[in-house]
Amino acid sequence: MPLPQFFTHRHATAPLLILTTTLKTFFFTHLFLTHIYTLKPTRGPSMLPTLEVFGDSVLISRYFRRGRDVKVGDVVSFDSVVVSGEEVIKRVVGCQGDFVILQDEVGRGEKMLQVPEGHCWVVGDNLSASRDSRHFGPMPMAVIKGKVVAKVFPWSERKWIDDGLRPVETQ
Amino acid sequence: MFSNRIFSALRNTAISRNVTAFRSTPSGQFFWDTSRKLLIIASWVPAVVFFNENVGMVTFISGPSMYPYLNTNYNESQSKDACWVNKWKPAENLKRGMLVSFWSPAHPEVLAVKRVIALPGDKVVTRAPYPMPTVDIPCNHIWVEGDNKDGTKTLDSNYYGPISTSLVQGKITHVLWPWNSAGSIRWWEFKGRTKVVKGRGED
Repeated sequence: MPLPQFFTHRHATAPLLILTTTLKTFFFTHLFLTHIYTLKPTRGPSMLPTLEVFGDSVLISRYFRRGRDVKVGDVVSFDSVVVSGEEVIKRVVGCQGDFVILQDEVGRGEKMLQVPEGHCWVVGDNLSASRDSRHFGPMPMAVIKGKVVAKVFPWSERKWIDDGLRPVETQ
Repeated sequence: MFSNRIFSALRNTAISRNVTAFRSTPSGQFFWDTSRKLLIIASWVPAVVFFNENVGMVTFISGPSMYPYLNTNYNESQSKDACWVNKWKPAENLKRGMLVSFWSPAHPEVLAVKRVIALPGDKVVTRAPYPMPTVDIPCNHIWVEGDNKDGTKTLDSNYYGPISTSLVQGKITHVLWPWNSAGSIRWWEFKGRTKVVKGRGED
């Protein structure tokens, strides 16, 4: 008995083709978002005035994951070392070997420490509303997921995010 | 149709005619088939990467830090134990005695394999290079140590302190090679020599 026409037709494998193509597209997208670039919304006051409290989206370059080629002044996105599963954006203020001065409150105790090997010192731009290395100490660079390259949305406020370092004016 | 007209225009270019001629030769046929197969294989690379980073992968243990449990033949040969790493939700359900792989805090591009000794809330009696005699493990951190009795053979939490669970990449579940030690890792049978005051009743 001949097979029904559907099975002998050359489009009989189409469902399988659609399935594998969908899977491949999904995995390729995932690879792109975790290894090349991604766009993520941000919230919270810790990076004011670089990033607004609400409604910003930033472009993150994944090349810099695990702190590869990260320099002082870069804004990085990383897995929180304190709250598991939370992604945080802060600015790198010291790399391994640098000395940082930790000031508890203005005019109060002040201590200097050296950032250990493979670690960095991250601080939010808005010092008074940021939980950062001042609380949890030097952060291992391996938790870094990428570098924040630009603020993309809202489109009218789009800008590149630079290292914020300015030469000291001599007077 | 417009697209049909574009395709026929493309088909009549000199390059296109040369390609067609090349494909009809035997070597051209072979080249065409091989590149087609290679492209199909390459299109699955993202899936393999996804599997290796989120489901599990085989890893080879280097160094003596987990001797004698892993790399039991370390002193006799250069062979490395092959282990299966479960990478699904690595930071969850960590228990004392489990073997975990994590990014070394001091070397961000190096994966280290150590044993979980203490969980958040525990108090640990530390060993030589650590500056304090005891340490309380903070929230979302674990204390990891190598199995080697010689403290100079393992670079662990006694050097760099408690590590964040965000660094943990996977749990070692099975030894695959060599055959005589192959099998699932019975981490619950581990009796440590490090003194740990357990902080939470439920663990």
